[in-house]
Amino acid sequence: MKKMKLIAGILVFGSLWGFSEVIIGSSLKDIGLPTGVIMTGVFAIFFLVFSRMIYRQPGMQLGMGLVAGGLRLFNPFVGCHLCSAIAIMVEGAIFELIWYKISFDFSELKTIIMQGSMGIISAYLIYIEGYIVTQIATPIAAGANFYLENLIVFLPNIFASGLIAALIGGVVLPVTLLAKKIDITVKDRLYYPTTIGLSVLCWFIVIGNWFLA
Amino acid sequence: MGKEKIIPILALIVLIIGGTSSAYVYVTQIDKETISINGNEYTVDQLSYMGETKTIQTVEGEKTGVSLEDLIPKLGIGCPSCHEYTIKAKDGYQQTVEWEIMKTGVLSSIKKVYFPDTPKKFWVGDIVEIEVK
Repeated sequence: MKKMKLIAGILVFGSLWGFSEVIIGSSLKDIGLPTGVIMTGVFAIFFLVFSRMIYRQPGMQLGMGLVAGGLRLFNPFVGCHLCSAIAIMVEGAIFELIWYKISFDFSELKTIIMQGSMGIISAYLIYIEGYIVTQIATPIAAGANFYLENLIVFLPNIFASGLIAALIGGVVLPVTLLAKKIDITVKDRLYYPTTIGLSVLCWFIVIGNWFLA
Repeated sequence: MGKEKIIPILALIVLIIGGTSSAYVYVTQIDKETISINGNEYTVDQLSYMGETKTIQTVEGEKTGVSLEDLIPKLGIGCPSCHEYTIKAKDGYQQTVEWEIMKTGVLSSIKKVYFPDTPKKFWVGDIVEIEVK
């Protein structure tokens, strides 16, 4: 039963993350905002940390990355669907690695400095990893050759652009942890209808949007 | 050293890497009006006169510019299919393509290349150089 609850949690949080990447990310891009840093610094950090706080299960964020990446395959607004999907899947894995030594009750993150620091580290590493993965995967998926030299000369730009994501993450993570003080229990009889319903809604909107684009 | 010391230090290192990289990118950015192709400098207007204009269909609709298939041989580059082409932007971004991709593209008046069948990551903008390898 506990395992089923976790799977439903992975499904709903992964779907919400994927939904935000596709729908909200595309809207932000349309109005000229730096989509990548906002998606990582705000949405990825929020969903990853919030879900870890509620479920306290290792591997959950990796699963969320797989679900979100799967949903992102249906994003009509990116050049390489597969590359973006792979990037987001790896983001989940990177988060698991960064947080491997952090306890599930966040006992290490009592001070605002620790919370902000973890936000900075997490957002920065997730952002630059996603950027690097797409730089490698895009030429390969396009049937062209991947040139390491092209990536190396562009690394300073990638490291530089991650700075804003890091700063946003440094603020978003402490704000997300404030939710620890809120009682967000869902009654058992409502848990599955809520999680499955929300997940289906996210997939329905994203796939519907894909067909309409 | 405990986590309460390591984590803030790592965060500080991250900020230093991001900050110094930003400064490096700003300082090394090349800003010029011309495009260097195979060692020679050309303005976009000059290139427009030299090559035929072509319109291609991309994922973002129609894009019009100088046909690279027509332009490259006219720039004195023999055996275009024997080379690879590294297209470099002013911010350091670059993509290398083979002739099979290169010949399908156009160079627009805003110094950006478009290809009909590649992801947008190959559409290098603010071009400062096309290196022929």
